[in-house]
Parts: sequence; structure tokens; C-alpha cells
Amino acid sequence: MRASALVEHEDARRAAGYVLDHPGADGVEVAVSGSRTGLTRYARSQIIQNTARDEVRAYVRVVTGDRLATASTNQLDHAHMTRAATSALEAARASRADADWPGLPAPSDVGLPTPLLRWDEATAAFSPQRRAEAVGRILRAAKPHSAAGIFETSAHVYSVLSSEGIDCYDAHTRCVTTCLVDAGEATGWGEASSHSVDQVAVDDAALRAVRKAEGGTPSADVTAGNYEVVLEAPAVATLLEYLSYAGFGAKQVIEGESFLAVRSGQRVTSPSITIADDVSHAGSVGIAFDFEGVPRRRVAVIDKGIANVPVTDVRTARKLGVASSGHYSGSSQLGPYASNLVLESGEAESDDLVGGVGRGLLVTRFHYVNILDRPRTLLTGMTRDGTFRIVDGEVTEPVHNLRFTQNVLEALDSVLGVGREEHAFAPEYGSFGSTVARALRVGEFNFTSTTSH
Amino acid sequence: MIGGAIAQDELYGFGPGRRISAGGQIGKADRGWRGDRRDYRSGDLRMKELLEAALDAAVGAGASYADARAVVTSTESLTVEGETVEALERSESAGYGVRVLSGGAWGFAATSRLERGDAPQVARRAVEVALASATTISRPVELVPEPVQVDNWETPTAKDPFAVPLEERVGLLVGCTSSMRRVPSIRVARGTMDLLGQEIWFVSSEGSWIHQRIVQTGAGIEATAVSDGEVQTRSYPGSFRGHYAGGGYEVVEAMSLEDNAERTAQEASALLGAAECPSERTTVVLDGHQVMLQVHESVGHPTELDRVLGMEAAFAGTSFIAVDDVGRLHYGSELVNITADATVPGGLGTFGYDDEGVAAQSADLVKNGVLVGFQTSRETAAAMGADRSNGTMRAEGWENFPLIRMTNINLLPQTGSLEDLIADVDDGIYMATNKSWSIDDKRKNFQFGCEIAWEIRGGRVGRMLRNPRYTGITTDFWSSCDAIAGPDEWKVWGTPNCGKGQPGQTMRVGHGTAPARFRNVITGYAR
Repeated sequence: MRASALVEHEDARRAAGYVLDHPGADGVEVAVSGSRTGLTRYARSQIIQNTARDEVRAYVRVVTGDRLATASTNQLDHAHMTRAATSALEAARASRADADWPGLPAPSDVGLPTPLLRWDEATAAFSPQRRAEAVGRILRAAKPHSAAGIFETSAHVYSVLSSEGIDCYDAHTRCVTTCLVDAGEATGWGEASSHSVDQVAVDDAALRAVRKAEGGTPSADVTAGNYEVVLEAPAVATLLEYLSYAGFGAKQVIEGESFLAVRSGQRVTSPSITIADDVSHAGSVGIAFDFEGVPRRRVAVIDKGIANVPVTDVRTARKLGVASSGHYSGSSQLGPYASNLVLESGEAESDDLVGGVGRGLLVTRFHYVNILDRPRTLLTGMTRDGTFRIVDGEVTEPVHNLRFTQNVLEALDSVLGVGREEHAFAPEYGSFGSTVARALRVGEFNFTSTTSH
Repeated sequence: MIGGAIAQDELYGFGPGRRISAGGQIGKADRGWRGDRRDYRSGDLRMKELLEAALDAAVGAGASYADARAVVTSTESLTVEGETVEALERSESAGYGVRVLSGGAWGFAATSRLERGDAPQVARRAVEVALASATTISRPVELVPEPVQVDNWETPTAKDPFAVPLEERVGLLVGCTSSMRRVPSIRVARGTMDLLGQEIWFVSSEGSWIHQRIVQTGAGIEATAVSDGEVQTRSYPGSFRGHYAGGGYEVVEAMSLEDNAERTAQEASALLGAAECPSERTTVVLDGHQVMLQVHESVGHPTELDRVLGMEAAFAGTSFIAVDDVGRLHYGSELVNITADATVPGGLGTFGYDDEGVAAQSADLVKNGVLVGFQTSRETAAAMGADRSNGTMRAEGWENFPLIRMTNINLLPQTGSLEDLIADVDDGIYMATNKSWSIDDKRKNFQFGCEIAWEIRGGRVGRMLRNPRYTGITTDFWSSCDAIAGPDEWKVWGTPNCGKGQPGQTMRVGHGTAPARFRNVITGYAR
């Protein structure tokens, strides 16, 4: 029993036990999550918001024949669990038959996951005072400049149980820090993330941000156009996450919206690019199974430049005639989702990506990215917190931010170098998943306008 | 009852037979939060006692101010694809959060455990968090005053959406999706319906005691056509799960979904063969749905005072506006009048009180094209020297710290119809229904995409265009606005997915808009 975990395996078993044999249901599945999160937010070089919250939730999926529905509750007592099951059964009966529903998975068909337990007790027990001390170190490192960001520690536990015999449990912790330094004329950015607070170097993140912010007044003398670029790891992580959202899931493939629907088996990027969903990677933060209790397998969605296969859940796997890869997101609307992305080491690894660039731009990170054309993986977004001009292999000056409008696969097809150093990132929204990225030197990247800063 | 467990003998939820509060009219009265309790039903009383136990503990632990907010939320999300119910998800969530000022800094703790005996511990945790925050502050938080409020408020509803039989609601959507599926090239036909019921109790150490009952309903249909790698989607009445409003099932009935299903699918199919939207500088007419997103991103967010003050710098960004721009910054043409109005009927940002107990108001943000105000909180109003917050602090659920969030940010109507706006265009483009959005970290450089467009030639709508987008700079764009349609075309749209804050919070916000016209706009589509 971990002091910081809210819903241990036995607690989840007890809650599920109230409903796994719910009268009238042909099958019941219960996914239980619990979290304890402390997030300290600072801006203008002082803590402005500071929160501590405990959350639990049980998702009860009830099957009757080939109809199903889900109800969730955050009260795990007998009365609320039973009402959730009754509500789900009522909804399932009012639903329509789902010809593609394969039934709840059973351990004999999908195997048993081995918990990853990316758990660090010091992170789980980190106090508000310790978080404030960490922020204090960041603020001292950023002086005399204004700084803003977060320092967050959290602990998460997950269980899935079902009437078919699924019974699995896993847990992880996470520490995230971000730091934006505002030196008046320019801003800079640093961040770090790990399952363990000991592996998050807050001073390094702050100093990276300081170095970028102190680069001088950004030049307005930059125009839209095609540039050779070096994308630092935070920028690459954002592109990977949107690429996954645009088309790594089997549901998007079945509906014809993913690039995999028409380009599977074809070369879509440079051979130096392999993008996998791999929760077992050392830098990933996640759990060993999906919300159907199916063990999560590594899936190379793009393998050495070739469009390969999407991630699946039991419903979409049946439709595609394959076995589930263990990526059910917990939402039928979203379908399967690749939530532990890894940009793997490639053939063009380099410690010095900037040195090879004649004239180009260095991008620290992107802001407010959105999808313009899903099958074509066309995205738009802005640069922020450190965009620099590169001349003859040297970073020369900061420039105003630019808007990009770019087909991501085409950008990845023009990759000229892959950074050797891996960086782990937490998702911007929510606590689930992670991205492991590296810097990239990209031959062509399309910027379509500029802005005022 | 101290130490008893509410959860053991009360079922938390919403809908028929599940309400723990009938929300009886309490009426305004000059009573402290320890005042007369006889007007409250048992559920209210129990929640009030829980929250009061938290307040007592917070004040006892040294908090100079405390409020406690309990929220019980029930939702139902229905998605139909073709003949199949793709997803039918119901959720219930109950819990409370305690916000305190101690040592001049904020602390917040929240839990879903509704054991009354836990409340003092939760409150003391909030104070502990505040005292940790206080180690870094250079200036203590100050709050502008707000009258003590003891009141009850409910969303007016004609037809409880949770009481409408599920079979009836599924049948409505399947009727629409079946109709859309009959149109050639339609690969996916989807219908959605989302219900939300929420009970909120707010208690403050200043004496406020407020109960609110919020009901919001949304629905929509969309058809996706696929051919030779080209994918085009058309939706009705809006994209991203349709249109949402404060109110009951009457919101859905007013949409006439079935009457619009076939047309929606035909437009998606026709888009496959339509010409690309040209890249040019031209006159653009936007429908009300796209004006909603334009207002949201380029007026709503930059006028949030916490952004202006740098409090959101690291995540969502800041604002191009400075505090002393009020009364000086020319935001747009003289036609542009924009309010933050939490009182307008039917909005997703309509309520009686915000989440720090400030009464709903309508505040001017832009008047005759000039910036005249911000969206504020009690803390930020004090920071800029204002007398009172205009009531825009909102939190997602019980578990989050309230932030300045849009209420209903409305572009006020002028005169005429959409046809009048188009009739005065020799050469331009009419774009409809938002599809994508992006804007820089100071809210200046934006790019929007729409689902569909049509050429305008000689004052008439011509051929269909696909993949329309436009880009601009906020104040230049609003300054180019030379027409806004009148009240007959004005509608309060609802968008339920506005993200902000860390931890991330998703807020439901409203926008009253009408079609509008903008000159000299850059359009086009880059591949």
C-alpha cells in the first residue's frame, strides 16, 4: 500500500465487485483511476496559483447482446457503483445493435500485462513546501528576469477488471516543470519531465530559458517562406502529438481520414524516421495496458520512413482483421489512441544539427497548433519563446515569431539530421501519456506569415 | 451530523428522481452563512454543513479569506454513427474545493470524498498550500469588495433533457444519419447530443451562500464525404458536436436537425468536387458561427485581465493589450461593440453568480471600436484599481481553481441581413462554419479555416469553394469590419471546449454573433 495512492488494486476490486455480475448484463467491465496532484503555478516571479487535488473515477461499461454503453462515477461506494451499472444497462438497452462489437476481451485471448510501475515514492509524497522550494530555485536562476511556469508532482493508479476475467493494475508518478523567462525584449523557454522528481533538473530548465531570452531584441527582418530549420525537441514533440491525433488511430483509418488509409506500405518520410507508440521505452510514462485491460504492444506507426499500421482497440482490430494492439482510449468516440509516442534513434544522428545549416531558422517550440487537413497532415501554428536565425552553421540573432503552414509528413521526408539526445515530455492537456522526442534538422519548412514580436 | 458521511445516504446525480436539491426559491436576504437555514432542503443543508466545516477549519488555521464550492455534475454524451450508437457515455461527478488566502497568497485543495469529517483536513491542506505559496510572493493578494450574496439561481428550462426517453433521442439522430447516408460519397454520418446538469453550492467566509442549478443541452449532425484521398466534412448547426445552449430539450427541438440532414450531406459531397479557395486579398463575409470563433480568439482571450497581467504567460500566452490601453486602443471600426454578458438568456456563460460569488453582469469590452474594459476577477480588478469585479471567475467542476473565463462575449448586432451584406460585395468570398483556428501567444496573428465557402460576384453567391481559410492581424482585421447583420440574424452560439489554465480546464462559453463583413482580407490555402 503506497501512502500516496488513492485507489489501490484491492479498492478497485471491491468497487468492481459490486457490479461485475450486475443483473441483466451479459458482460461488465470496470476501469478505475485515481490521482493525487500538486501543481504550483508561478508568474511574474511569484507563485500565483497552487493546487492540491485528489480524484477517483470508475467507468462501468455494460454489454447486453451486441449493445453497450458506459456510465462513470467518482463515488466508489456500493450505491453509486450499482447506479452507474444500472444507468449503463438502461442506456445499452435503448441503444442500437453494434455489428462490429467483438465482445469484451478475455485474458486467454489477449494475455496478461506486466505492470510497469514507473513509480517514485519521493515524487508521490512531494509536499507543497518542496514544490515551493523548487520554484524558488527556478526564480533565483532566472533573476533578474521575470519568470512563469509550473512545477507539478502527481501520482496515478489504474485498474481494469471485467466479468471476462480481466484484472490488472499499474501505477506511475510524474514530475513536470516548465519555465518561461521574459527578459523584456524577448522570451525563452525550458522544460523537463520524468516519472521521478530526482531526474527533473529545474535549474537547467531555467538556465536554458534564460540563455534564449538574453539573445537580444528579435529582428523584424524575417519574411515568410521556405526555410531549412532546426526544430528543437519541444517543437518536434508538438508535431508528433498532432501527427498522432491526425491519423495514428485505427478509427481514423477506417473512416478514411488518416494518411494510413491511402498510404500504408508507402514511404512517407525520410528513412531516418521511426515513430512508435511504446510505453515500455525508458523515457515513457504510462501503464502496461489499455482501458480494456489489453496489454499495450509497441507499434511502429512509421517504420524507417514507411507508413505501417495504426494502433487498435478490440473493436477496430476486429474491423481490420488484426489483434488489438492495446490502445483503447477509454472513449468510443475517440477510439484507439497512441499516447506514448517515441521518435526513435535513426540513421542520421548528430550532436550538431545547427552546424550543417547554411541559412535557416532555429525553432524552440510551437504555439496553438491545429489541423487544417487531416489526411494530408497539414498543420498550422506559431513559433514562440526563441526563434533564431542561423547563418553558416551559427545561431546569429533572434527573429520575430512566424506562422507555419506545413504538411508534417513532407517536412519529415526532408529530414537531414536527427538529434542524438532524447527528451521526455508530458502532454499539454491531461495526465495520461508522454512523448519522447529529439531535435531534427529539416530541409524544408513552410512559414506563411510573421507577427509583431 | 459532524463526522457523518453524506455519500452513504445520498445519491449524487441529476435528472428525474436523482436531484438532491429542488432548488427552491431562497430569495435574496441579508443573512450571513450562519443565518436562517429553514429555507434549505435536506441536500442543501448537508452540503452547506460540509462546506461550513471546511470554512471553519480554514479560518481556524489562519486563512484571512476562504470560500468552499461543491459541485455535482451529471452528463450524458450520445454519438450515433450511421445506424449504430457509437458511444453512449453517462457520467456523474461530485466533490468540493476549498480556496483560501493565507499569508497573502492563494491555496487550494479539492477532494471527491464527501465525508464531513474530512472537510477540516482538506481545508488545512489548502492553508498549507497557501503558506507554501507565500514564501515567494512580493505583494500580497488583495480582493475588491463584493456584497454578501445569499441566493438561488437556475437555468430557465422548458423541457428537462434528462427526462426525454433515450429511445426518442437515439431515434432522432438515427433518422438524421440515415438520411445523410443516402447521399453519394458519404463515408461517415454522425449525430451527437450532449446533456449537462450541474448543482453548485458556494459558501464564503464573508457570508455568501449561493446555490445554482445549471442545465445545458447541445446537439448536431455532420457528414463526411471521402473520395480519392479527399475528405470533406459538413456539419449543422455548427461543427465540433453542433450547437450548445443553456436550456433543456427545447434547444434540440429548435434545431430542426432532420430538416437539415440531407442538405448537410449534399454539401459535404459537393465539396469533393469544388474548386480550391483562392489565395488573394478580397472582401470576406463570415457567417455567425465563424464570427463566434473570431470573437472568441481575437477579442475574448486577449481581454482576459489575467492574461494582460502576465499570469497565463507560460501556457496560453499573454495579450497584445496593456492595462493602460483602456480608452485609447482602437480595436476595430466604429461598428464593433463587444460585451462580456453573463445575463443574456441561453448562453453557456449565463449564470447567477461566478465561482467567487460575484453577481452576473454585462460589461462593455469594446465600444464603438475602442477598448473600454477587461474581463476581471476580484484579485485582478484590485490590481488595476477597479472598484468591483465584473464576475468572470469560473472553474471546471469542483476540482479546479477558478480562473478568469469568458462568459458570453457578444458582438452586438447592427442592421440588415446576410443577404444585405453579400449584396454590397462585387468580388469576394462568403465563408461558413468554423473548421480550424490558431493564433499567436499575444493574440495578434490568427488563421482560421471554415468548412465551406462560396464566391461572391456582383452581389450574389456563386460557385462553391473548398478548404477556405483566411489570416490577419487582430486590430487590422476588426478595423476592416464594415457591416454586421441585425438582430434577426443574431444568435448566442455555444462552444463547450475552451481550454485554459494549468491544470488544464475546459470551459463552456457563449458568443452572441451575427454574420459580418470584412474588407481587404488575405484568403487562401497553402499545401
